Amino acid sequence: MLFAFGVFVSLSQDLQWYKDALIYQVHVRSFQDSSGDGIGDFRGLAQKLDYLHDLGINTLWLMPFFPSPLRDDGYDISDYRSVHPSYGTLDDFKGFLEAAHARGIRVIIEMVLNHTSDQHAWFQQSRSSRDNPRRDWYVWSDTDTRYQGTRIIFLDTELSNWAWDPVSKQYYWHRFFSHQPDLNYDNPEVREEMWEVMRFWLRLGVDGFRLDAVPYLIEREGTNCENLPETHALLKEYRARLDREFPGKMFLAEANQWPEDLGPYFSAGDEFHMAFHFPLMPRMFMGLKLEDRKPITEILQRTPEIPQTCQWCLFLRNHDELTLEMVTDMERDYMYDEYARDRSMRLNLGIRRRLAPLLDNDRRRIELMNGLLMSLPGTPIIYYGDEIGMGDNVNLGDRNGVRTPMQWDGGWNGGFSLADPEKLYSPLMLNPVYGYQAVNVASQKRFEHSLLSWMKRLLAVRKSSAVFGRGSIEFLYPANHRVLAYVRKWGKETILAVNNLSSSAQAVELDLRAYKGNILIEMFGRNIFPRIGDLPYLLTMGPYQFYWFRLRKV
Amino acid sequence: MPEESILTDDFLHELMSVGEVDLLVGVPTYNDAASIGQIVQAIRAGLVKYFPRQRAVIVNADGGSQDQTQELVRAASINDLQQAPSPHALRTLHSISARYGGGPASGRGLYAILAAADLLHSSACAVISADSTNIEPEWIAHLLQPVCRDGFDLVTPVYHRHKFDGLLLRNLVYPMTRALYARQVREPYPSEFAFSGRLATQIFGQEGWAEEAEQDGAKLYLTISAITSGFKLAQALLGNKTRAQSNPPADVVDALREGVGPLFLSLDHYPAWRSNAPSEPVPIFGGRPELTLDPLRINRKRLYDLFRSGVEELAPLLNSIVSRSTLRELQQLASREEQDFCYCDELWVRTIYEFAASYHRAVINRDHIIQALAPLYRGRAYTFLLENRDSQGEEVERNVEALCLTFEKFKPYLEDLWDGRR
Repeated sequence: MLFAFGVFVSLSQDLQWYKDALIYQVHVRSFQDSSGDGIGDFRGLAQKLDYLHDLGINTLWLMPFFPSPLRDDGYDISDYRSVHPSYGTLDDFKGFLEAAHARGIRVIIEMVLNHTSDQHAWFQQSRSSRDNPRRDWYVWSDTDTRYQGTRIIFLDTELSNWAWDPVSKQYYWHRFFSHQPDLNYDNPEVREEMWEVMRFWLRLGVDGFRLDAVPYLIEREGTNCENLPETHALLKEYRARLDREFPGKMFLAEANQWPEDLGPYFSAGDEFHMAFHFPLMPRMFMGLKLEDRKPITEILQRTPEIPQTCQWCLFLRNHDELTLEMVTDMERDYMYDEYARDRSMRLNLGIRRRLAPLLDNDRRRIELMNGLLMSLPGTPIIYYGDEIGMGDNVNLGDRNGVRTPMQWDGGWNGGFSLADPEKLYSPLMLNPVYGYQAVNVASQKRFEHSLLSWMKRLLAVRKSSAVFGRGSIEFLYPANHRVLAYVRKWGKETILAVNNLSSSAQAVELDLRAYKGNILIEMFGRNIFPRIGDLPYLLTMGPYQFYWFRLRKV
Repeated sequence: MPEESILTDDFLHELMSVGEVDLLVGVPTYNDAASIGQIVQAIRAGLVKYFPRQRAVIVNADGGSQDQTQELVRAASINDLQQAPSPHALRTLHSISARYGGGPASGRGLYAILAAADLLHSSACAVISADSTNIEPEWIAHLLQPVCRDGFDLVTPVYHRHKFDGLLLRNLVYPMTRALYARQVREPYPSEFAFSGRLATQIFGQEGWAEEAEQDGAKLYLTISAITSGFKLAQALLGNKTRAQSNPPADVVDALREGVGPLFLSLDHYPAWRSNAPSEPVPIFGGRPELTLDPLRINRKRLYDLFRSGVEELAPLLNSIVSRSTLRELQQLASREEQDFCYCDELWVRTIYEFAASYHRAVINRDHIIQALAPLYRGRAYTFLLENRDSQGEEVERNVEALCLTFEKFKPYLEDLWDGRR
């Protein structure tokens, strides 16, 4: 237990804390600049921990902050045991971590296992000659024809998964950008070294890792080089070490796969604690636009049961494009037409936009989507700035349009930095709708009904029951397909969530006979609704309205 | 006991669950279990394939079937309760079935579908006959696309037909409707058609439509209403037309009651027929219909005999319906040998117009008038069969066109009769 800022806050000792986590994803660079150089840093982030604590989140997921040439927003790491000088020092990180823990906030960091930057010393040594001791730390080939069955992920920029190295005159394997050579996990030295990297951070006190791009760790001829048994064996090996040496720490998988392919990442509860549910996210947007629950219920029906100790991670938006890899061609076309009619919004197989602009800045839809995020089974992740409805700038390259500085107030640089605006790592949002003078934390703090205040209330209600993070789900299937309704249960607690996905008022009849005799208590206003009887339970719902009811037998 | 509404509470309840839609496909049924499954599956395939993004519903308006008709329709839904999800369907496709009030009648079924289209704010609606067993998914596209894409309000079908199929249609219903209402709609009494939400709302809101729904010929009134109210019309080629074998071939008198009675009655309801505008063509989407020429065994002699005996036996009745000169000509015709028999266009058109005027005046019971037309129609059919026995498709079409022009030319004769000038 720690004493901080006048209150005692303790981190839960529950080994399954991640099930109750409310995760906030943030890039150190984007949140708060304390040094005035135009780039966010750990000291700045530490200064904003009270804001995050007040918001109600209890876990932070930091995007890569390691030394890097920053050609892929830090996912091209050139040193795994340090902090990028722009963000501060290792001591700054330690100070931040301690301050976060003091507020009951856990910290998850990125671990990019699959590849390094081509500027990493390992690769520089590896490419320096074919007989260098680190030559075999990467995947080299005389031809670019091996592993032909492997798809190219960054279709917009890469023509092949092989790149020619003019130094050592061989091709090297890369699943992402060509400046990100893949590590060779068939080499035991690499396996060992990457575990040592993780140990380094675990010893400093981080609470878990988001393991990046895990399906691609190992390559085999004649396969698509994704989700291979050898990859799972490696991940299980790391998990066993984690449990043995650092119980209570957590692995989160980034595996953009179909639900049935994600099962093995949980395995028997001995691989990952959590994995992102990638296919659900686009279907939430699709269901909203179609005003039809089918895409959502269908994908959740396809989702396999996972071990009791495991958990899905849910998100609406993140630092990447809204990926449309896990949808059918017809669904992708629909999503593009509905959410990215302007072609500049499209990137790779996705849409590079933030939540608020995707939803036309419609407060009701933003609330509904957040309501779904918080009430469907899994641990929710809020992307920084989405709690105030920040916009995006598609004119910035790659995915940088959704990585602009956090908007704290209407003053100089939106309160993000004291640097000259020209020095900021990214231009601020300036337009009259989403610009920092219109959308910022300070102004939204002033009003009880601002999006920020509403998000705080939402998180508080979510935290009021463990059902949301741990409970089972049972869908109701009212005849009105515009209404998505489900019952969440955990122990003696039962919660009913009813969501109107449509833009118009709806009447819905719910078959709640199994709960006959219970009264419904609306969780936000704590108002009592009529007792459940034998007849279908009739609810009328406004456009995009949702209800959470606690069922009480009185 | 209060009068039962065509739109029953159950029907309303089902519609409530569906909510607003973009497209509605209606199928009126009554004990159609033998064919309905296949038809609804084709509709479903058409909607999923050609309109994946639109909110759509299949509405079965049932007259109180005792077989499995309604269950088969409901089974065609695409929803999130299915064991195997439909990867090709973006959204829920409701398929609802409800009994309309008042007992089985095609007009009530259509009225219930119109009401559903209006209540669900459907922007386009198609109606498919439950006996169209050769329906293809493409029919749905052909019918609905002119409404959705091109802004037409009523799309009636055209089919590839045998040259001797649809004799009543070609000899009476089409040419007379065309002459009266000045639009060249090949199937004014369609079994498959599509209409816009605007038209549905207008028709549904028209006073007296609920009563007309009680009569035969509601579909004909829909066509005529669309024409006379200035809605945009189109036709769509659907392919070949066959019907479910389970249905017995229509009796001539029944066919006349269903097709001709309402047409005659429309003269009382739609004064627009008195306009002297020449008929205008209606665009056809999907290509030109063709006539097939396969040899067909038809008992022409029987038609001839029935004409002769009919004219002889019904002479007192015909005397009160048609003019003296027309009756005389009919009697002369009845006395001719089979090889000399020709019920020519002009005499046929005069006969029909005189029947229509008598129907208007109700000189005798109107149903008796329709029944009295049966033998004469058989005589005309005999002439059509004989005239076109060796004709190719184009020649048959020319003959039909000539008859249409005769109907148009003699329209003033009908007006004279109507106004008592003859």
